[in-house]
Amino acid sequence: MKKYTLCVLKYLLLVICVCVALFPIVWVFMSSFKTNAEILANGVSLPKSFSLKGYQDALTISPILRYFGNSVVITVCSTGFNVLFLAMAAYVFARCTFSGKNLLYFILSLSLVIPMTALLHPVYGVILKIGLYDTKAGLILVYTALNLPMSLLILRGTFLSVPKALEEAAYVDGANFVRTFFQIMLPCAKGGLTSAAVLAFLNSWNEFTFALVLTSGQKARTLPLSLSYFTAQFSFNYTALFAAVTIAVFPSIAVFAIFQEQVVSSLTTGAVKE
Amino acid sequence: MKINKMWIPVFLLPTVVLFLMIYAVPLVMVFATSLFDYRLNAKDMTFIGFGNYSRLFRDPDFFQALSNTVMWILIQCTVHVALGTVVALILYKRPKGWKFVRTAYMVPNIISNAAIAMIFLNIFNPQFGVINSVLKAARLEHLTRNWLMDSRTSFVSVTLIWVLFAGYTTTLVLAQALSIDDTIIEAAKVDGASPFQRDIFVVLPLLKKVIGTTMVMAATYMLQMFDLIYITTNGGPGKATTNLPLLLYSVYKGENNYGYANAIGVCIVVIGIGAMALINKALKVNQEEY
Repeated sequence: MKKYTLCVLKYLLLVICVCVALFPIVWVFMSSFKTNAEILANGVSLPKSFSLKGYQDALTISPILRYFGNSVVITVCSTGFNVLFLAMAAYVFARCTFSGKNLLYFILSLSLVIPMTALLHPVYGVILKIGLYDTKAGLILVYTALNLPMSLLILRGTFLSVPKALEEAAYVDGANFVRTFFQIMLPCAKGGLTSAAVLAFLNSWNEFTFALVLTSGQKARTLPLSLSYFTAQFSFNYTALFAAVTIAVFPSIAVFAIFQEQVVSSLTTGAVKE
Repeated sequence: MKINKMWIPVFLLPTVVLFLMIYAVPLVMVFATSLFDYRLNAKDMTFIGFGNYSRLFRDPDFFQALSNTVMWILIQCTVHVALGTVVALILYKRPKGWKFVRTAYMVPNIISNAAIAMIFLNIFNPQFGVINSVLKAARLEHLTRNWLMDSRTSFVSVTLIWVLFAGYTTTLVLAQALSIDDTIIEAAKVDGASPFQRDIFVVLPLLKKVIGTTMVMAATYMLQMFDLIYITTNGGPGKATTNLPLLLYSVYKGENNYGYANAIGVCIVVIGIGAMALINKALKVNQEEY
């Protein structure tokens, strides 16, 4: 009897966790098809009719498409740069020997323990100084750097696990360092590269604080910022607001659904193992 | 194996430049400028030594923000990590649908905080929000209130926005639990340990290290928490839900007092390193491990 109760309690906890996790998203998605009057009358009722007016409104009353485009450019560029640069560095740390290597690796991995929100003003100062305030390039630079510690950790581990014989064969065949890296090592490290890229993508797509501080106009602002702009300006069109939230979360959920195994394995390699 | 050493600096250069620009230089700047009276214009900077720090100790807003930050770190390191660990301990026996639960539980952790904040702003909305709608339907109208802006409930309401979403913790602990050698658990079974005893005395100690890692992650996350609070309450009512990053932002953007803002930044850095050392020491996790 005791065993039976315990089993029921376990499943109950799991069901509650799933409901708590999914309810907000489901609620928003559902509400994005309701009319404003329906939402105000009863927050939790099902939509009475299916209407895409919320999405139309979201597109017309705010420059959400533009923000979406900015987000795509900034996220794709910073993810690409991050993975390329960090793969190069991680490869050197995994394979080459040079004096001061361990010290340099230690210093670079300190980036893992620095709380970045503490550096809001100095980072703003640096970006302003190099003339990248309120530009996409500025945010690309910062996001490429923000994902430095995690990618370094994941990619160095990946390269360490690739057998050395592969490179030796390439060198015997006369390939040089750069060619070996791009043609032999990168394809071998595909798993780690995907993991690092997915995490970098999610982080950059969702980032809010630096986007808020480093941009001022529509030129470079990203999707997460457009949501807060919604509360201020159009606080009475809730349907449009819910539609905008749906638009903003869809890419994250899609990327996560497609690369789920990679996210899970990268979290594991990054944080559990080495 | 002969490697042309010329390429080593070329391959390291982009990463080192990124590190210098976004981590090293700002870190030095935050410490250096915290010693100056530095408002609006860099030309009018005057050295005041620890003046900004002595203002910290006289600033009631700072103590409010500090105590909220510490409170949230403690809640996150205990309640949040414990919840994630319990779910992982249920899932590692691979009950029916365990993969679905793992995926579903991760969803709030992978979508943007701005979206989560907007959602909760509406869940707690006084007119049509979910909580008040449910209370009204249950004829408990006297309990309805503006959850985020009522000083009695704002702290708890804000905490609820993140404390239950322990998907990252579950995923990490679960991965470690799944990699435990079956023979260890079999041996405990042979020795007559009940399933519950096996979980507590055999499996849990083997997970100490990864739980330490999730605690460090939870602490760093809470120390840096900004967006969820900024969008939902912006630190209010009064300073009831202000934490250190929010105070830093309001001093920086509201007062344009950069020296003082950066002194708060130094506090955040110091607390971050301190919390990490403390958790590592408490759980004897080797710092090299994560």
